[in-house]
Amino acid sequence: MKDYNKKDYKEYKGKVISNDLIAKDCCKMLIKSDLESASAGQFVSMLCPFKTLRRPFSIAGFDNNIIKILYKVKGEATGYFKTLKANDEVDFLAPMGRGFNIENKNSLLIGAGIGIAPMLFLKEEMNKKNIKNYLISGFRADDEIIKGSDETKIGGSVLDNIENIIKERKIEKIYSCGPNIVLQKLCEITNKMNIETEISLEKVMACSIGVCRGCVINLLKNNEKINASVCKDGPVFSGSEVLWN
Amino acid sequence: MELKRLKTILRNPKTNNSLTLKSPIIAASGTYGYCDEYENFIDLNCFGAISTKGITLEKRAGNAGERLFEVKGGLINRIGLENIGIESFLREKLPILKEKNIDFLLNIAGSTPDDYEKLAQKANENNIKALEVNVSCPNVNKGCLEFGLNPDSLYEITLKIRKNYKGFLIVKLSPNTSIIKSLAIAAQEAGADCISAINTIRALGVKIEYINDKFVKKTTQGGLSGSCVKPVALYMIKQIKEAVKIPIIAMGGISTLNDLFEFFFCGADAFQVGTSNFTNPTICYDLAVKLNDFMVKNNFEDLEKLKGAIKND
Repeated sequence: MKDYNKKDYKEYKGKVISNDLIAKDCCKMLIKSDLESASAGQFVSMLCPFKTLRRPFSIAGFDNNIIKILYKVKGEATGYFKTLKANDEVDFLAPMGRGFNIENKNSLLIGAGIGIAPMLFLKEEMNKKNIKNYLISGFRADDEIIKGSDETKIGGSVLDNIENIIKERKIEKIYSCGPNIVLQKLCEITNKMNIETEISLEKVMACSIGVCRGCVINLLKNNEKINASVCKDGPVFSGSEVLWN
Repeated sequence: MELKRLKTILRNPKTNNSLTLKSPIIAASGTYGYCDEYENFIDLNCFGAISTKGITLEKRAGNAGERLFEVKGGLINRIGLENIGIESFLREKLPILKEKNIDFLLNIAGSTPDDYEKLAQKANENNIKALEVNVSCPNVNKGCLEFGLNPDSLYEITLKIRKNYKGFLIVKLSPNTSIIKSLAIAAQEAGADCISAINTIRALGVKIEYINDKFVKKTTQGGLSGSCVKPVALYMIKQIKEAVKIPIIAMGGISTLNDLFEFFFCGADAFQVGTSNFTNPTICYDLAVKLNDFMVKNNFEDLEKLKGAIKND
């Protein structure tokens, strides 16, 4: 298993290779830099020149020094990122946080909305290792679909019928990313079914390296409530440990 | 890289108690960890110092719920002094600071006068060179800021600490007051060697969205920092300078060389950089290089000459 305790993150200057609208309000940016490795579930912390805080984005793919990120254009910062063009410079910290613990288990990957981003990278890594996996993604409407899943659900919940899918496919481990409301519901289901689940959480972050304690959540470990920072101890957590407030 | 012209000596003119720094630029408490967390980004030996994350007697879990709220040009935080406690700090972090030769100020906070007294004793026993006393955190229910807003209680607390701690004593003041001069004088009279200011400004972040025919509201009350607080900080530093003779470490929205000049003009002797570390983890070093380069290029031999010129030109 990868040692995420090692401080191997740095500040990088990268070059935008491409930055395209791939679905409604959703862009894919490819960035080339000196970054040599990244794992699924880790993130980059992007500088937006006129903002007080950097913006974290899950890494959606990494190959040959090129990072792929997917982002929803929602506010001023993502609006700015959308305007970047090929050859523009970007400043980011990477690779940040602890990624997924990939195991050789029949895996179900669930991406809700833009939460598909780290799932695509995870699928790629699993495929390389010949680990059986099945990716389900869910979107609110047709024009929001991001491609790359084995099954795509439109409208409703990505968790509809999930128990049957888990049973029928004899799933041994689940990985997911999406809004908290989806992840919480998923964990309730999988905790009951006693299926190992890893989820990637999102939270407003300041430092990105665990020192400012701004993005803290609560975990239950050995019956003790403890603090964990999403940026350093996460963003990937065991679904059985997260305390939802 | 050595930045020879930046050598900074903060000296209490009454007692001659002093603190020598390699550079006047210090990473502010709460933004740079306890010790070597940022070493991947920069050689921490280039720093004036790191002010440690605020340490209390016992470890603290901090506040529940959302802790950050970004605003235009700033950040509201309500971390609530989450920290590992003094014993863990002395056991786990102090050896790292010593081994890696990182200059630091130990930032302490307490809920009672006794807390401050005990922390001061610990600092003294462990030969910690500089102590920064936080009597200005707006994000805790008990203690801390309540001692820092009243000149009498601030005097008592500072005196208690002074009696137990022989090193360089810095008192960090709050801007949430209309009597900053009296507070600075109280700290000085009780034996503080230096004032640092400002801590964060009490603020409320409000976000309202209209979703499905309803106003969805989110509020975060905490302390405001970042470039938007600079004019408040400049005002406060000027007021403090008019009131006391001890040196002043200024902070509040610093991110550029010109910011340093502005604070020098208002009476600063050294600086802390806080919120800007989040976007640029090397900013304390970057600013030091810029300051040194400026001084070399324009023939200012040392910081005293530069300060003099800024004030008198």
